[in-house]
Amino acid sequence: MGRHLPRRLGLAVVLCAVALLAGAFVPRVRSVLGAAPASFQDIEESLTCQCGCGLTVHACNHLQCGSAIPLRQEIRAQMDLGKGREEILAYFKSKYGEKILSSPTTSGFNILAWVTPFFMLAIGGLLVGLTILRWSARSHPAAPTGEAPEIPAPSPYDKILEKELKDFGE
Amino acid sequence: MVDVGSLALVIGLVLALYAVGMSLAGAYWRKRDFIASAEHAALAVWGLVTIAVAALMHALVTHDFSLEYVAHYTSSTLPLQYVIAALWGGQAGSLLFWLFILTSMTAVVLLQNRERNRELMPYVTAVLMIVAIFFLAMLNFITPPFQRLAFTPAEGQDLNPLLQNYWMTIHPPSLYIGYVGCAIPFAFAMGALVTGKLGDQWIRTTRRWTLLAWFFLSMGNLFGAQWAYLVLGWGGYWAWDPVENAAFLPWLTCTAFLHSVMIQEKKNMLKVWNMVLVILTFALTIFGTFLTRSGVISSVHSFTQSGLGPFFIGFLGATLVVSIGLLIWRLPQLKSENELDSVLSRESTFLLNNLILVGIAFAVFWGTVFPVISEAVRGIKITVGPPFFNKVNAPLGLVLLFLTGVGPVIAWRRASARNLQKNFLMPVSLGLLVGIILFASGVRHYYAIISFCLCAFVLTTIVMEFHRGIRARQAMVGENSLTALLHLIGKNRRRYGGYIIHLGVVMIFLAITGTSAFKVEKQITVKPGDTFPMGRYTLRYDGVKSHETPHIAYLTADVAILDHGRQIDTLRPEKRFYKKPQQPTTEVAIRSTVGADLYLVLGSYDEASKMATIQAYINPLVGWMWWGGVVLALGTLVTIVPSRAPARAPAYAPSRGPQAVATE
Repeated sequence: MGRHLPRRLGLAVVLCAVALLAGAFVPRVRSVLGAAPASFQDIEESLTCQCGCGLTVHACNHLQCGSAIPLRQEIRAQMDLGKGREEILAYFKSKYGEKILSSPTTSGFNILAWVTPFFMLAIGGLLVGLTILRWSARSHPAAPTGEAPEIPAPSPYDKILEKELKDFGE
Repeated sequence: MVDVGSLALVIGLVLALYAVGMSLAGAYWRKRDFIASAEHAALAVWGLVTIAVAALMHALVTHDFSLEYVAHYTSSTLPLQYVIAALWGGQAGSLLFWLFILTSMTAVVLLQNRERNRELMPYVTAVLMIVAIFFLAMLNFITPPFQRLAFTPAEGQDLNPLLQNYWMTIHPPSLYIGYVGCAIPFAFAMGALVTGKLGDQWIRTTRRWTLLAWFFLSMGNLFGAQWAYLVLGWGGYWAWDPVENAAFLPWLTCTAFLHSVMIQEKKNMLKVWNMVLVILTFALTIFGTFLTRSGVISSVHSFTQSGLGPFFIGFLGATLVVSIGLLIWRLPQLKSENELDSVLSRESTFLLNNLILVGIAFAVFWGTVFPVISEAVRGIKITVGPPFFNKVNAPLGLVLLFLTGVGPVIAWRRASARNLQKNFLMPVSLGLLVGIILFASGVRHYYAIISFCLCAFVLTTIVMEFHRGIRARQAMVGENSLTALLHLIGKNRRRYGGYIIHLGVVMIFLAITGTSAFKVEKQITVKPGDTFPMGRYTLRYDGVKSHETPHIAYLTADVAILDHGRQIDTLRPEKRFYKKPQQPTTEVAIRSTVGADLYLVLGSYDEASKMATIQAYINPLVGWMWWGGVVLALGTLVTIVPSRAPARAPAYAPSRGPQAVATE
């Protein structure tokens, strides 16, 4: 285990970094990809209704909602101006503040919202990976090539058969 | 009756304090009579809380509007089932109901363990009574349920109309039983830490309690989803609302615990991790109650909000400090000789399963509290809504689904190439085949394709396991397929119950995928006689009828459902106008089939023009979620009911230490 530890640690660190980068860039890439078409429903779902229902503008179905209905009209007006998705969302953000957006932006402090779950998962994955390697190394330390002789695992069929034979005997 | 209830809570608090003191003193000085006295006091607390619940229920049913709680949450025209449900519809009542479930479970635990676990029991009693003291203190000093008004109003303000739905009569109790059930394994874990009885005795004792708690958490979440689907009328069932998240969090960590505990039972490993999961799960139940009751994060589900937040945070902090302190204190004794024969084994898969479950729990927790963090750090309010949770959790959910298929059939200790081929060739092939068929059919929603592939993969592993077992029985005793199936399940309930639960999970994943990827929706304003297409149906709006009761005024639309020109059904979506408080609600109309729900909402109606706005949704596969819940419940029932066959020790289970044997 000792000889392999630096290499494994290195590998684990690389994996961790990849996961972290993926976590950081996935939302960015997705938002860039999503910038091209400005679909009405997509923008509705990117905005939160301010009536207190907690739903997106798309999902809010309150009768004569004082928030969702004017917001929908505003989305249509912005789309009629030929704006793209990101431009329209920027407009709503500057007019109503960040709370209007249904998910955090992918810049500044808000990047933490996106990155942290993946970062923690990467750390957890690193710990679990190292633990599995350490525990599996502990079970066959004497194997010179690092590979333990294979123990044939009993198949579920064999186990059931064995159990049935026992039960039958009783 | 009211004064009796109020007095019962005061005496209950005193007796709970006495029970804690005597339990700990009895354990310290090894005085059996002290411990017995503490247990009797705990039973008396249950009796007193029951009296308090009965008193409040009596006040509710007899419409005693001199009580603030009754006047605030009921009215004389409220149907009886909702008058009863008002017990948990408001702040004080729900805390009292929480306490009632806790003390009832405490009583059952005490009676179950009169002759067992005697070294653990004083600490178990003390922990459960400390939790009870917290709630009793809230009810006596902060939010008393028996508060009288200065004058008696002629009529009550009524229950929030959104809560006047039959799912609300069972959703909160299910969730509370789930929350409170998590306190039992926590109490035993704390007892194990204090006494140093750190074997798997506390785990075996609480296995059914944990399963019961998990079952009710599962049902509570599903009932809540059903309520949202029927009452909120937005065509969905889950909006990642903070309160929904709060109920989901302990379910995730409890699920992780139920899996990792198998490794401790089989291989005497992961003792520290299991302790962490038990502590985390209990802490998250308190966090969930805090979120629902404090109003610190705005939520559509927070029907009552108050200044209880600081008390809950204080209690949560104290719980974490003490329990983690005990865990650190016992770390040297919890270390075990952990070994894995191979990276490719069921043990590794379970570790990964735990990683993903706790990872999802962290992501949900982080998204839920991030608005508070953002406001504290930047002073700017932000929203973390469904798009965030869907983006972060969808890939993790798919990994979890994959592990659901791998975990049960990969070999313990070491998976050989033969084992992998034998167990996974067919499932992987069928999974890929489903993907190819979907792609060839023009489906381009890649998450959905992956999800359906994985559902097919997991389903095949489950079917293969049952098939093998049935074949084995048929070969052995010549039973027919059905008898072999029943005996197979009956003789190994835990294993096959688990498979049935996984089947339910696959069905729920199918529903989530169907509704997320292929939902169709339309909003249309029509006059009587107008028709419009919706999926495979044509819908014809036939007008609106109105009628009223003393409690509610109804506006009901008649919408004929035509299939190839033939009327096959009539749906009647409603608008209801509650008279006290004056509030409109939506009553959706649904036509359910195996493939999809046709879901109609009456958006608005103009009396002058007779025009109505109809919101129509096709929700593919949504019914599989509710039936998945039924299958999940069935699987849990199979797992939880004791098997008549004597339990056999695992073939390679490590020999238990003398201490563990002595305590059994």
